[in-house]
Amino acid sequence: MATKRVESGRGRKAGTVKSAKQPVNRAFYLIIVVIAVIGIAALAYLSTRPKASRTVAFDSSLPTVQSQGYVMGSPSAPLEVTEFGDFECPQCGRFATLTEPDVRTRLVNTDSIRWRYIDFPLEMHQNTWNASIAAACADEQGRFWEMHDAIFAAQDQWNTEATSNPNKVLKRIGEPLVADKAKFDQCIDDQRTKPKVQAHYQLAIARKLPGTPSFIIGDQQISEFLTYDDFKKIVDQQLAKIKANPATATPNADSAKAAPLKKAGE
Amino acid sequence: MTKRMWMALISLLGLFLGAYLTLYKFGFIGTLACGVSSCEQVQTSRWSVFMGLPVATWGLGFYALMLALAIVGMQERYSDSSPLSLAMLVLTACGAVFTAWLNYLEAFVIHAWCEWCLFSAGMVLVLLVLAILDFRDTRTTIEA
Repeated sequence: MATKRVESGRGRKAGTVKSAKQPVNRAFYLIIVVIAVIGIAALAYLSTRPKASRTVAFDSSLPTVQSQGYVMGSPSAPLEVTEFGDFECPQCGRFATLTEPDVRTRLVNTDSIRWRYIDFPLEMHQNTWNASIAAACADEQGRFWEMHDAIFAAQDQWNTEATSNPNKVLKRIGEPLVADKAKFDQCIDDQRTKPKVQAHYQLAIARKLPGTPSFIIGDQQISEFLTYDDFKKIVDQQLAKIKANPATATPNADSAKAAPLKKAGE
Repeated sequence: MTKRMWMALISLLGLFLGAYLTLYKFGFIGTLACGVSSCEQVQTSRWSVFMGLPVATWGLGFYALMLALAIVGMQERYSDSSPLSLAMLVLTACGAVFTAWLNYLEAFVIHAWCEWCLFSAGMVLVLLVLAILDFRDTRTTIEA
């Protein structure tokens, strides 16, 4: 059998002994198995390692977040969570559409936390300033959060990939939300709210945030997408700290600005 | 090493790459290891899902199928199998066309590059070349 000759073709020269391949095959299968084991171990490690690697300790020398952004929730909530977000950032959109509904229903509406959103329009996104300005224009008519949700939900319709004229799309998105459409459109055309967005941007820069979304939850700063479970875990840790030491509760800097919320079932 | 061995090896690497990106897409991996490009921008864009499944998952399926075919092709019984060779050629050709479309989207629509996607594109290209050579060898064998 070991002397059987084979025909030419398949890269073999005539006369090659076929059975000589067997040790090669065995060695090859061994390599395959080793690579498979390493690969599986690597994937298992990556998917089970703690995901809070981008959490940094709170730096008290950085400017505090006060009276800026848009606030939702009870003034008496013990903990305030601040999100620095970019309307065109895909991960922010993912957070807004997947995680934030649960955060609002289970944490904000139950007065466990107060929620603050501050614009951090990143340079890489060409249309994000238009979105922040449009959201601030909706805020003039008390409809920031509705616009915030609509902008994120329709992110693929007005982002850089989709259009070079985002204002046209943003006006259409805001049309059913605002009472005074003409005022809203004019605000966008005049970029009337740009100073407000700039102030928010400066605040994010001053805090040296690495990107979006960035969350400040008590004494933790996290810069990555969070699932509801991840988010809740951090909030629970912070609430436990506040319970142990009520003096660490987040002071409410601008309760008058806090948007009234509809409780579940209302 | 034979061409089919190389195909199996490359497919195995691709399988793990597909699994890595799929796990990221389904939220099991926090952030992607991405040195110089914009992996997250690409992986979270609306183009990262094709027919209801993440593109990475399609890639995972492609590499798994290629691995299976290459390993079957390494068996003595199928070493000169023309249908098997043709199946690998058709599969890699489809993979190359799909990859080219994804690279076009990265370059001209998303305006961002994902280094893992480029790495995968390179592997698909090598697989296609190997599949063409393998198909040619099989035909030579039949003619001989």
